[in-house]
Amino acid sequence: MKVYTLYVPGKTYIHKMNPLTKLLYLAVAIAIPFIAPDPAITMACFLIGIFILGWAKVLHRVIYLLAMSILFISTIFIIQGLYYPGNTTPYLILGKLTFYKEGLIHAMVISFRLVNIMISASVLVLTTRPSDLISSAVRRGISPRLGYVMSSVLQIIPQMATTADTIMDAQKSRGLETEGNLKTRLKAYIPLLGPLVLGSLVSAQERAMALEVRAFNATGKRTFLQNEEDYTVSKAINAIIILALILTIIWRIYS
Amino acid sequence: MKGTNPFAFKFNTMALVLIPVAVGINYVGKLFASVLKLPLWLDSVGTILAAMLAGPWIGAITGLINNIIYGLTIDPGSAFYAITSVAIGLTAGILAYMGWTKNWTLAFLMGLVVALVAAIVSTPINILLWGGQTGNIWGDLVFAAIIARDLPLLLASFTGELVVDLIDKVATVLVSYIIYRSLPKRFLIAFNNENKTEKF
Repeated sequence: MKVYTLYVPGKTYIHKMNPLTKLLYLAVAIAIPFIAPDPAITMACFLIGIFILGWAKVLHRVIYLLAMSILFISTIFIIQGLYYPGNTTPYLILGKLTFYKEGLIHAMVISFRLVNIMISASVLVLTTRPSDLISSAVRRGISPRLGYVMSSVLQIIPQMATTADTIMDAQKSRGLETEGNLKTRLKAYIPLLGPLVLGSLVSAQERAMALEVRAFNATGKRTFLQNEEDYTVSKAINAIIILALILTIIWRIYS
Repeated sequence: MKGTNPFAFKFNTMALVLIPVAVGINYVGKLFASVLKLPLWLDSVGTILAAMLAGPWIGAITGLINNIIYGLTIDPGSAFYAITSVAIGLTAGILAYMGWTKNWTLAFLMGLVVALVAAIVSTPINILLWGGQTGNIWGDLVFAAIIARDLPLLLASFTGELVVDLIDKVATVLVSYIIYRSLPKRFLIAFNNENKTEKF
C-alpha cells in the first residue's frame, strides 16, 4: 500500500487538539521569522516546534523530511556564499572559489527559515488526519460543498492511482513501449493518461447525478455525523498564539 | 468552453465534481511522468484540463485545492505555490475561452503564456522564501550563472524559474490540448457552466 499522507496516528494531546488551532499555530510560526528576521527568534520558533513534535512522538518522521531537504539547503549555502550581492568579507577559500561571510550568514537565515517552515508544518501535517481538518473547517463556516470537494480529493487520489496501475498493465499487454529512448517514453504518455482522464470523467458524471438525487444542492443548515470533540483548552491556546504574534509585531515596530 | 461570460460564477454539480477528478489527474499525470522517467513534472495537466472544460474559476479552484491538499498531506512547501497554481488555472481558462484551443499553434502559444505567468507568479515566492532559488537543479544552475555576473537578483530568479517552467508548461498544455480535443462532445457540453443542453 502506497503512502498518500504523512499523518501518523497517535493518542497524544497534540493529536487530539483542535486542527484549526494547529493551523493557526502553523501560520503564526511561519510568519514570525518573516516579521522579525532575527536568527534567535527563528531558533526559538523551531525549538518550540521540535518540543511539540517530541510531545506528539513524531520527531523521527521529521528527521526523514529534513534529510530530503539537505541537498536544497547545501545549494543555498553554495550559491549565496559565492554570489550573494552583499558579499565583501572572504571567509573560506577553496581553490578558485571564495565563500563570503555575508553570503553564508544570509544562507543561514534562509535555511533556518526553511527548517522552521518544515517543522511547523509537520506539527499540523504529521498529527492531524486531513479529513478532521476539513470537517473542523466546515464547522467554522467553510462551505460544505467545498468541504465535500476537499475530502473527495483525499478519497479519489488512491482510487485513481490504482486505476493508473491497471491502465499501465493493460497498455503494456497491448504492446505499449514504456522503456527505451526519450521519444518512445514520451509517446507512451498520452496512451496512459488519456484513458484515465476519460474514465474518471465518466465516473465524475455519474457521481454528479448520484449527488444531485441525494439533495447535494439543498439549502439549509447541515448537520454532522459525528459530534465535535471538546476543544475548550484550544481557546486558551489560540489566545497564546495570537498574543505571540502581536508581541512579535510590537517587537518589530520598536526595534 | 464557449459561453457569454468566462467569469460567470455558477457552479453546477458537474463542475464541482470535476475539481477532485482534476486534482487526481494532476497526481496521476505526475506519477506517469516519473514512471516513464520523463525529464518533466507534468503535474498540472488536470488543472489545465479543468480550466479548458469548465472555465477559469474551476481551473483556479482546482489549482488552489491541489496545492493545499499537497501541503496538508505529502509536501508542506507546495502550499506556498498555491498562488502559482491559481494563476495557471485562471490563465488557461481565460485563453481557452478566447478560443486558444482551436489548433496546435494556439495551444503552443497558450503553453508559452501559461509558462510566463507561472514564472512571474513564482519568482516573488522564490525570492521571499529561499532567496531566489527555484529548488530545481537546472533552474538553480541558471540562477547561479546569472547572479555570478552581478546581474539583479530578480532577473536571475525569474530566468531560472522560466527556464524550468517553459519546457514543462508548454508540454503540459500540449498534453492537455490533445486529451481535450479527443474527448467526446458530450463532456464539453456537460462541464460547461452554461449547461444549456444537459441538465441534471
